[in-house]
Order: sequence, then C-alpha cells, then structure tokens
Amino acid sequence: MTWFAWRQFRTLAWITGGILVAIGALLAVSGHSVADQWVASGAAACHGGCDTALRTFNIEVASSANGVIYQLSLAVVYVVPALIGIFWGAPLIARELEAGTHRLAWNQSITRTRWLATKLAVVGSAGAATAGLLSWGVTAWAHHIDHAKYYRITPLVYGARGIVPIGYALFAFALGVALGMLIRRTVPAMAATLAVYIAAVVSMPLWIRAHLVPARHATSALDLSRLQEFTIVLPSRVMKVVSGANPGDAWVLSNNTITSTGRVFTGPADPRYCGDDQGPRACMNWVGSLGLRQDITYQPASHFWPLQWAETGIFVAAAALLVGFCFWWIRRRLA
Amino acid sequence: MNSPVLQTDGLSKRYGRRTALSDCTLSIPPGHVVGLVGPNGAGKTTLLQIAVGMLAPTSGTINVLGRRPAAGPAQLARVGFVAQETPTYAGLSIADHLRFGAHTNPGWDRRLADDRIAQLGLDPAQKAGKLSGGQRAQLALTLAIAKLPELLILDEPVASLDPLARREFLQGLMAYIADHGASVILSSHLVSDLERVCDYLIVLVASRVRIAGEVDDLLSTHYRVTGPRRAPGDLPPGVEVIEASHTDRQSTLVVRSSGPIDDPALAVEQITLEDLVLAYMAQATTSSRPTLEHTR
Repeated sequence: MTWFAWRQFRTLAWITGGILVAIGALLAVSGHSVADQWVASGAAACHGGCDTALRTFNIEVASSANGVIYQLSLAVVYVVPALIGIFWGAPLIARELEAGTHRLAWNQSITRTRWLATKLAVVGSAGAATAGLLSWGVTAWAHHIDHAKYYRITPLVYGARGIVPIGYALFAFALGVALGMLIRRTVPAMAATLAVYIAAVVSMPLWIRAHLVPARHATSALDLSRLQEFTIVLPSRVMKVVSGANPGDAWVLSNNTITSTGRVFTGPADPRYCGDDQGPRACMNWVGSLGLRQDITYQPASHFWPLQWAETGIFVAAAALLVGFCFWWIRRRLA
Repeated sequence: MNSPVLQTDGLSKRYGRRTALSDCTLSIPPGHVVGLVGPNGAGKTTLLQIAVGMLAPTSGTINVLGRRPAAGPAQLARVGFVAQETPTYAGLSIADHLRFGAHTNPGWDRRLADDRIAQLGLDPAQKAGKLSGGQRAQLALTLAIAKLPELLILDEPVASLDPLARREFLQGLMAYIADHGASVILSSHLVSDLERVCDYLIVLVASRVRIAGEVDDLLSTHYRVTGPRRAPGDLPPGVEVIEASHTDRQSTLVVRSSGPIDDPALAVEQITLEDLVLAYMAQATTSSRPTLEHTR
C-alpha cells in the first residue's frame, strides 16, 4: 500500500521537489550577496553600538534584490502550508470519493483504516518535510536581515521561521483531508481548507501566541532618542509620547509612557515649552525633564524557541485531532 | 466450507425516510452464480454494498461466507467486488493497477492477472482513463478475480457495455468460475444479461425481495396457465397467482405451484425466466399490499 500511496502522489512530489530545488538555488546564490552586504556594511565586524552599521546594511539590502527576496520568501513560507492543505490534503480522500475509486481500493485485502493510515503517512510526512526544509532554508538565509531589521520574534516574521511552518503544514494537511471526507467534493473542500487555515494562522498572533509563554514586564527611563510617536492634540493639548526603545530584539506587546505616579502620560503640554513659538527641541527637553518612564510588556528574543515549540505543539495537536476524526469517520460514517 | 455465501436476516437500510432495502431475509448456498434482478432503484446496489461492507445496515444481520462483511483483511481477501460503473484510477496505467492488486492482496495470482490482460489485447502501459467502458470493466474484473476470492460480487457490471463487450465480459467471468469454482453474485436490471450465466435468482423490487431460488426450481414451479375467464381465487389448492391478465372471455395467469396443475379446463405452459421475473416485477407494482416473501 505504501508503494501505491507513493505512486498516486509521485507527480506532485516531483513537482514540489523541483520547486524546492529552485527556491534553494535562489536562496544559495542570493545568500552570498547578503553575506557580502553584511561584511561590507561593517555589521559583521562590529561589536556593540552597531546601529550605524546595521542601518547601512538595511539600506543596502533594501536597495538590492535581496529586499524583494526577503519579502517573497516570507510570503512563500506562509503560502506553502496552505497549498499543502489545498492540493495534497483536500483531494486525498475527496477525489477518491468523487471518482468512486474508494470502492476499488476498499475491496482489496487491506482494511480501509490501513489504507487511510498509509496515505496520511506518506503524504503527511512529505508535507512536513517540505515545510521544514523551506523554513530551514529561509530562516538561515534571512538570519542577518531578521537581526538587523525585523526581529524574528515579531508576529509576521515569526510564523515563517523555525519549526512553526511544519505545524502549520501538518494542520493544513489534516484539515484538508478531514474536510474532503466530510464535504466529499474536492473543490469545495479546497476552498473550505483555505478559509479555515487562514482563520487559524491569523488568530494565532492576534489572540493566542502572546499568552503561550508568560510575557515579561519592564519599566525603564524614557529614552527620547528613540521616539516612535510624539504628538500634541490641540486645543486640549493632550500628548502622546511613545519611545521605540526595544529590550533586545523583542516582540513588544504593550508600550506605555507613564508618569512617576504610574499613570499613562497624556500631557497636557505646557504652552511655555510646547507653544507655537517654541521649537520642538524645547518641548522635548521639557518632556525629558518630567521623569517619565517607559512601561512595556514584551516577549524577549530568548522566548523565540519556547514559543515556537508551544505553537507548533498546538498545531500538531490540532492535526492529530483531525486525523483521529478521519479514522473515526472512515470506519463509522463513510460509505 | 459450507456456510452460506450470503445470509441475511431482516436486513434493512434506510436513508432518512427513504427505504432502500427492507426486511431482506436470504440464505444463498455456496457454489452458485446468483443473479440479483430488479428495476433501477430497487435496492440491488444497497444490498451488494452492505455485503461488501461499504454500507452499514440500519437493522438486521448479514453474514458473508459466515463472517461479518469486511471484518478484516482476511475477510476482504475472500470477497472480490466490482463496483457499479467499474471505477478505476484514470491517471494510472493498467500495470499500476495490477501492481496495486499485487501489493494489497496476499493471495494475488500474478500470472492470472497478466494472462488476462494479454488475452484481452490490452497494453499494460496504457492509462485506465483512456480505456473504453468494456476494457475498464475487464480491468476491474481482473483486479477482483486475481485476488482469488471465494465469492465474487459484481454490481451491474455490464449495464453500460455494448452487446459485444457485454458478451466478452460475461465469458471472462464464466471462464474464471469454471477454473476456480468461486461463488458469484451479480446484479442487473435486465434478466437477459443473467439468463445464460445464472443458476440462482433473486428478484428485488421496491426494496423487497420478491422471490429467491435456484433457477431450475423456479422454472419447474411456475407456469403460465390460460383458460376461460375466472376469479383469481378459483384455482386448485396450492396454486398461487403471481400475475393475472384478463380478456372478456379468457384469463392468462402466471402461477406458482409446488405440484402439477391438474385442471382440464386450463392450458398449462412452461414459462421463461424472463417472463417469470417480469411477472414478479408487475406484481410488485400493481399490488398495494406488501407481498409475501418467498424464499424457497
């Protein structure tokens, strides 16, 4: 049965292999140029106080093809699990049911449980391997850029790094198979798979991921040299001051500027320093003299792997539940 | 082994309100070629799919070769099945199909499979999707018989075939039966398809079994009688009317009788299998009350 599952899957496997090799070649070639930029910008040789070097590196990357490749590779790592669910998962059983070939397969001398188990194992492991290889290649390739610019723990980048894409791929695959069995038609099952996959992957950073590992909380003196936002709303003179200072490549969950009494600072702006006839410098100096503090909750860079394991675990568990459902359904309900 | 090839007791299948099979009780002894006849939608496919374990009955019990359908690999190996429309994998070659059979059936007879494909003049490298309906049916039959089943179940295998392909298919089937002595159940909505190959017949109409028995027994207990017009009840004891048609002066009856009909006023004729089946089908459609079931 393993041979047959492979035989049915072979064409897709070769196509996928070809695409992976092409992506790998592109990453290998452009990876050299990223490494060159890393050295040329001075970031490679710098230890401490590397802001200038990193900025130079970022500009060089953005102005070369590597900037585009970075964005594309990010998209590809998110899209591939969806494709695995849509084109490998959804048709796996639905196409057999549509064509009636399950009647042929289920009347050979193997139980349908084993038939399903073999198909799931062959195609599912290929899916996990595909997502894993891709994520590994892209994670390695984007290593310097992640460090210099985006931080790999921030939501968008995080989902395309490490082992989480494997969890996404397994989940999307099992989802496709289960929906294909339930809906019994390939195309509607594909559409449903895409919809649920997007919902699951989007809801993760929005509501769930931040709570998987306890976040850290820190308060420090407001660093006005890294201002992110500095606004005064007239005529109420309500102020909003936010510093972009980041405790080391962290994913910042909340960032408030608080007064010495612990309240969120909202002004009002003092017209003596922040009036129309004063320059912005005077106003900022005044804000600096107020003893404001930056209060943040964040997931530090060191939580990257604990978060990765936890999130991957959730998706693998969801995939296992879906697979369990498939076995129950094929024995009890499907005919 | 002498357990019945198919034994059902009160077998029923309902889909919501619709009844596909109701209260089917059968016991088919081994060694027969069984024809399952009935109009489209009578429940033939339902019965056969329950027998191969593709469907679960709503109520009642069924045993195939003495065991529960599709109970495990061993039971699956004992029953070969050719499904309606003879599904095959369109994108895979004939050789792929045979290899699939070889990989999934411990009793696979490779020689038999290869020889059949060669005899049919088929190219093993050809994709199943490119085969004609008759060739596809032959491929499906090859897969079903090369696993050397004790019971072969075929669901309307010739319904979509042209007369020549139909004859070739049935010839292939008969050759296998002659060589291997397997029992066969095959369904059709046409008696003529089955007449030449079956020695046991089940008539299934509107989800109910109307009659089942060996063809010889059926033919020797059913008669067409013609005589002056008379009321249906006015017949010798032990004679049961299956179908009656009347003109002003004359009645033509299809009757069942265990003994010879001894009434000088009646002309008694033998009946063909086709007429017998048609009589039961007509009876089912005209009578409003549920008919008594005859299993002997």
